[in-house]
Order: sequence, then C-alpha cells, then structure tokens
Amino acid sequence: MRLTSRIIIITTLLVALGGVSVHYHTTYDENWPHPTGDQLQEQGTKTFVGERVLLFGEVQTVNPDVITIHITDDSDNVAAELEVTGIEDRVKPGGVVQVYGVLESKTKLHAGRTVVVNRDPSATIYKLGVSVVGLVLAVAYFFRQWQIDFQKLAFKPRTTKHDPEPEEVHNRG
Amino acid sequence: MADLLTHVLLAYAGCTILSWHRPIPTHWIAITMVGSILPDLNRITLIVTNRTFEAFLGVPFDIDALSTLGGTVLLAGIGSMVVTNQHRRTFAALLAGALSHHFIDGVKAYADSAAGTWLYPITWARHPTPSLYVSSDPAVLVAAVSITAIVIVTDRYVIQTK
Repeated sequence: MRLTSRIIIITTLLVALGGVSVHYHTTYDENWPHPTGDQLQEQGTKTFVGERVLLFGEVQTVNPDVITIHITDDSDNVAAELEVTGIEDRVKPGGVVQVYGVLESKTKLHAGRTVVVNRDPSATIYKLGVSVVGLVLAVAYFFRQWQIDFQKLAFKPRTTKHDPEPEEVHNRG
Repeated sequence: MADLLTHVLLAYAGCTILSWHRPIPTHWIAITMVGSILPDLNRITLIVTNRTFEAFLGVPFDIDALSTLGGTVLLAGIGSMVVTNQHRRTFAALLAGALSHHFIDGVKAYADSAAGTWLYPITWARHPTPSLYVSSDPAVLVAAVSITAIVIVTDRYVIQTK
C-alpha cells in the first residue's frame, strides 16, 4: 500500500477515534447505571438518597466502624464526601475503594459490598511500576522482531534464523 | 484493569499455546503483545489530562473510549497501517492481543458484580463478572508469571523436542 494511502487511512481512523471519544464522553453519564462524579458535582448527593449506588472513592480517614471517602469529578475536584459504614476489608488513607450500597443521607452510605481497589498509595505505585515493566517488555520484544524500513517509512519483520523469510514462513521451528 | 505486565505475559503465553496447534512466527507474537497494551493507552491521562485534550480540541472528550471495544478496533486499524505489507494480519494480531486484555479485565472485581462498559459502542450493557481479582493484588502477577513460565518450559522442553 502506498504511503499516501496509509496516511489517509491513519488520518481517517484518528478522526474516528476522536469522534468516538467525544461520543463516549457525552453519553457516558446517561448510560452508566450509577451516579458519576460529574453528576454528584452538578446535582449533589441529595438527589440519590435512598438509591443503591456504586461509587469509587479515595479514602481520607479510617476509623473502626466508618471510613470517609472523597468522590471526584472528571476534573479531579471533590464532588462528594461520604462517611461509609459496613466496610469489612482493611484499607488505609490514600487507598481507593468501590462501595456498593444504599445512600442513607447526603453524607452517609452503608456499603453492602466493598472492593478495595488500592489498599494504600503504595498499591498504586506498585501497579504503575509493574505496568511500566510490561510496557517496556512489549516494546523491547517488538523491536527485537521488527525494524524500520526507512524507504517505505514502515515497520518490517527482522530476518532471523528462526524466521528466515518472515513474509512467507509458516513454521516457527 | 490488571497491570500491563500481566496482560503482556498472558498474551505471550496464549500465543505460544496456540502455536502448538498451528505455528505462529515470533514477529506476530510480538505484535499480539503490543495489542495487549492498546486498551490501557487511556493511561496517557497520567501525563496529559482529558481537560488538556478538551482545551486543545474545543469539545468534551474522554480518552477512556480507548479502553473500549470500539476504541481498540480503531487503534488496531491505525497500528496495521504502520507496517509494510501485512496489514490484515497485523490488524488481526493487534486485535487478538486487545481482546485478550478485555477478556482478562472482564473478570476483575466490581462491587456490584457487573463488569465495565468495555463493549461500547456495540452496547452499554455490563455483563456479570465473577470478580476474580483486583489489579493491585500481587497474586495476579504471580499467577501470570507462573503460567508464562510453565508455558515457556513446556514449549522449549516438550513441544520443540518432539
């Protein structure tokens, strides 16, 4: 395929990707079955009192029977601060939890079920660090198997003793 | 999401197992491993926020669309355009990697027992999830490393010596 054709197709796909990202943003709140951070910011928690909701929040304080969480909107501004009871798992301030339960008042939620996403800030760092290792591994393995063809401005498979003619080979051994 | 290392290792292990039935050249395994990271490209928001994209483009924008089926199909399409002449195979390999990512993420824990909206734009429906893991649990990576190690050893010392 000619370079011009590839550039046209890539541009078209990038525009489509932008369109999908805009549509996803504008329709997410009405399709997600629970209050989002943006909805809590705009309407307040009062609108949802009495409803069974799933919320994601960062843990602020931890006491024996109750924790306090912050739910943020898309701009990372705090949309709601809730006292959550019924937490059975261990969690520390700075951790992230999912809580599923009834919003009993504007500031209180009783969790019927909880998932601790990150037990504390170190869990977030662990996840990011391991993910960077995975990214480096995938990219390194890719460049071990592929190289840039500067004439065609595209990647082509490297010729190796395992894959003497990558365009035609059908057997790894 | 599970951590990226888990996704990449399991994509490699999956390709290796499939190659026992029908040999897969290693450069296609590499493409599949890259495909397995596509749905997590939304993590670019750790560097550039949605608000920055919105300010630049002038429209509301959510980069999380990249971690949906629709987003990854388009990303696989873009990826298939940066190789010389094997566009359809590259697209299939990237998409296979991305689908393995979606499958693994589809069984992670949600407190309401329903998975995320990754099937967008086909549907906003959330399928039930068995809530098998949370991604910050090191046991997930231990399992992925163990599975990959067993597959590599089996491949080297059992399959290739036949």
